[in-house]
Amino acid sequence: MSMSSQKTTSQAIPTTRRVIINDAAHMPHDYSTTPGGTLFSTTPGGTRIIYDRKFLLDCRSSPLARTPPCCLPDIPGVTSPPSVTIKNDKAHPKKTVNNNSISPLADKSAGEDAQFEMDI
Amino acid sequence: MNNKFDALKDDDSGDHDQDNCSPKDGEKEKNDEEEKDSNTTKTKVVVPGAGEHPLQYNYSFWYSRRTPGRPASTQSYEQNIKQIGSFASVEQFWRFYSHMIRPSDMTGHSDFHLFKEGIKPMWEDDANKSGGKWIIRLRKGLASRCWENLILAMLGEQFMVGEEICGAVVSVRFQEDIISIWNKTASDQATTARIRDTLRRVLNLPPNTIMEYKMHTDSIKAWEDFHGLVNASGGR
Repeated sequence: MSMSSQKTTSQAIPTTRRVIINDAAHMPHDYSTTPGGTLFSTTPGGTRIIYDRKFLLDCRSSPLARTPPCCLPDIPGVTSPPSVTIKNDKAHPKKTVNNNSISPLADKSAGEDAQFEMDI
Repeated sequence: MNNKFDALKDDDSGDHDQDNCSPKDGEKEKNDEEEKDSNTTKTKVVVPGAGEHPLQYNYSFWYSRRTPGRPASTQSYEQNIKQIGSFASVEQFWRFYSHMIRPSDMTGHSDFHLFKEGIKPMWEDDANKSGGKWIIRLRKGLASRCWENLILAMLGEQFMVGEEICGAVVSVRFQEDIISIWNKTASDQATTARIRDTLRRVLNLPPNTIMEYKMHTDSIKAWEDFHGLVNASGGR
């Protein structure tokens, strides 16, 4: 009688994900994580692909992460067009996109902001 | 009806302060999800490339800046916000991030938004309309580091709140910078508490840092109250 209530059904094995390591930097740094993002089946909402900060930062040096994105809109002073050479080092990754040509506008809007803040 | 959709801006948090002349109504808003608006850069679905590390969700970067020299009330928030691009993997994220200016180097009254693909950084989006956001005000000089830590935690699924996270915003203002993270259900206190605790951890905030939770419905109401006097159609 109690046997029937104890019965559990079998579950399919979760889909296998194969992760190829191209760089030692992509190896996890502690035993609780797995290469290519750690899958937790016990998080709220089910299985999630989880990366810690260090792993994400390490991925930044990958050649795959260095190529400029396609279709990047050219917003002066905000984005750097793909044609511009970028030094993707961690110290100063975005020097070349800092466009000083809009600084006169900045001064103007800064004045507006002061007034705006008072409006709140 | 107009008032509701005009109320796209938030004065202090990171969203926006402009706009009260948008003619949108509810139906139009929904259609936009499929047709995308004119300032959306592309509509194709992005996928992780070979050898890249997939993210739990696809995300889009957005940028907005208040146009100098024009009164905020005459601008449409939706017209002012520009989608920079979408990504599906860690590597694709870095490609965008590395070709964008750092928040501390932004000028004027500017915001970066990073939202899950399909969710607009607007209070009225279906995913946001019942939600709210945690707001942290930062003294000048901290925004770039805090923004990077915030979005890395979001992309890496560090918040552990299921589907609740909608996106994050960094707002550069005159005397301070503001970062915020938006979630879907403002009334879910277990979720908002977990987001708050995760923020404290990943941002390494001093214990006395003030964190404020703001429901979007309150933001909309505050916006309407503030702009009601100057909004000709404001017959609330």
